[in-house]
Amino acid sequence: MSTKHAAAARQFILNREQEQWHNETLWMVRQKRDNMAMRIAEWEELRELAGKIKMHTISRLDHYLELFSSEAERNGATVHWAKDANEHNEIVYSILKEHRVKKLVKSKSMLTEECLLNPYLIEQGIEVVESDLGERILQLMGENPSHIVMPAIHRKREEVGKLFEEKMDSEKGNSDPTYLTRIARKYLRNEFLTADAAMTGANFGVAQTGEVVVCTNEGNADMGTSLCRLHIVSMGMEKLVPDLKSLGVFTRLLARSATGQPSTTYTSHYRRPGEGCEMHIVIVDNGRSEIRGNSEHVQTLKCIRCGACMNTCPVYRRSGGYSYTYFIPGPIGINLGMLKCPGKYSDNVSACSLCYSCNNVCPAKINLAEQIYGWRQGLDSIGKADRMKKLMSKGMKFLFSHPALYRNALKMSPAINLLPRFLVYSKLNAWGYGREMPRFAGESFTSMWIKGKVKKTNRK
Amino acid sequence: MSLKNDIIDSVRRHAQAECDMPEISLEAVKYADPVSEFVEISRFVGGDAIILKDGENINTLIRTLYPEAVTVASNMPEISISTCNPDAADDPHNLNGIDLAIVKGEIGVAENGCVWIPQNVKLKALYFIAENLVIILDRNRIVNNMHEAYEYIAGTGYGFGVFISGPSKTADIEQALVIGAHGAKSVTVILS
Repeated sequence: MSTKHAAAARQFILNREQEQWHNETLWMVRQKRDNMAMRIAEWEELRELAGKIKMHTISRLDHYLELFSSEAERNGATVHWAKDANEHNEIVYSILKEHRVKKLVKSKSMLTEECLLNPYLIEQGIEVVESDLGERILQLMGENPSHIVMPAIHRKREEVGKLFEEKMDSEKGNSDPTYLTRIARKYLRNEFLTADAAMTGANFGVAQTGEVVVCTNEGNADMGTSLCRLHIVSMGMEKLVPDLKSLGVFTRLLARSATGQPSTTYTSHYRRPGEGCEMHIVIVDNGRSEIRGNSEHVQTLKCIRCGACMNTCPVYRRSGGYSYTYFIPGPIGINLGMLKCPGKYSDNVSACSLCYSCNNVCPAKINLAEQIYGWRQGLDSIGKADRMKKLMSKGMKFLFSHPALYRNALKMSPAINLLPRFLVYSKLNAWGYGREMPRFAGESFTSMWIKGKVKKTNRK
Repeated sequence: MSLKNDIIDSVRRHAQAECDMPEISLEAVKYADPVSEFVEISRFVGGDAIILKDGENINTLIRTLYPEAVTVASNMPEISISTCNPDAADDPHNLNGIDLAIVKGEIGVAENGCVWIPQNVKLKALYFIAENLVIILDRNRIVNNMHEAYEYIAGTGYGFGVFISGPSKTADIEQALVIGAHGAKSVTVILS
């Protein structure tokens, strides 16, 4: 009956306090985003532009990929092409092997999560150190991100304190965030200083100049790339923007939408490798080129991974990232999961109240909610429609297309109000699960109309 | 391994109707006084911006701001308080332990407190590894917004460049803001 999302969400809300904290904290981030947006009169115009620039770039992606790669090579970077996750991982490993890298320090990259790079590299004997604080906490806990921008949002300070006691020898019982961050700074500083190579994702690739732009608040991407002689960039092909002029639209939108900051602390532009250093850019397809040909879902390629759709989503806020079966949760994750494998990730499409709030905050104006609605309409065709709800729909179709029967049923319906709860909220009524049913009115509108009980009033 | 052509062919096979590139000609935010806006927003993002007064000595000012800094690194000729020239180092690892780096910024952005620094030291690690960072910026080079900043940048050449807006920070533990994650724990922009 219930989807995997619903079942997992049920577990999540068992801890009422945690549920409330999660909901309120993400809503606070949403409000910070609103404050930032409202300070800029041209905000909506910016979103409109961002959406159009991305659609243009995607529609001419072959051209921009050619341009980006030739410019990047002219700048002295080496460009690699990966059609899927396996190829991506093999390319990264072959670069590391060639340079005899023992320790790799990484900054946050959802693409490497998508490719499951870390377990692959660890299996090959490479030491992989995540350097974003949230990612590092999760790596030490053996967990995956539950949010794409705030990866450890599901963990409490006490849990982090306990983890650091164990792994970083911090003071017992001290869970002050400033203290713990200082401990991590010291500990990770040593990792940066002893790493042989650095890896980053890419927030943007600028086609005209062949440069890669990486945005962080912590400065971890830059610590890694400026201490190591080898920098590997893992970039999804949809990350391209035409030129620096268009980039300006996106750097104004990204941090404001993501965390409600006017800018990330660091917006780094990597154009040429430093003297004696190497820069490798791995351009990854992994299903993206196929999405380009899918007119209903092509807009997902506009995503800049800001996470605003998660922060605003009432279902995400109250069910947590782990309730979703795809590694990217929330509205964008529902869609990306279905594009990856509808048979495997269809449990997530019910995690949406169709409130459309995601559409209204997305900085690239992706039609997230329409797409989710579309997936639901197609569930039956992939054999994933809920059997009970299908049966009920069939019943109602019959009822609504037989007026006499319908009128009779309507007359009888107030009797349901008098039925004992166990009958109304039985397993036969899927809509009675987890919610209160409305009470039926004592008399129907039709009957009141016929009896002249409905008075016309003149609108003023 | 896939070749570039395989991937680009796959992109072409999955065709998408061409969409026009929009004209980017919006009326972006402008401030009556970009300098004071820049100062205000620098503080909002956890940093600071100080206007150098007429006749005030910049070295004395920095000393007052960072009285405890022992290792001070700068390659700027007007900075007399520097204790080492970061450009003398060959290995970025040797820059670890610097208390204060003093560097030059090119463009300030009033809307978000960003300062554009195209790499102007030998090792870019200096911008990130120092415990504290002072950026010296000509107050006449503060633009209103990022569009104006990129308009300037597009006409320049750089191998590496970074916008810095305030000190390094994180909120990864319970969304509690902590200043000083991996990069500088404090950033002061001095507007000369």
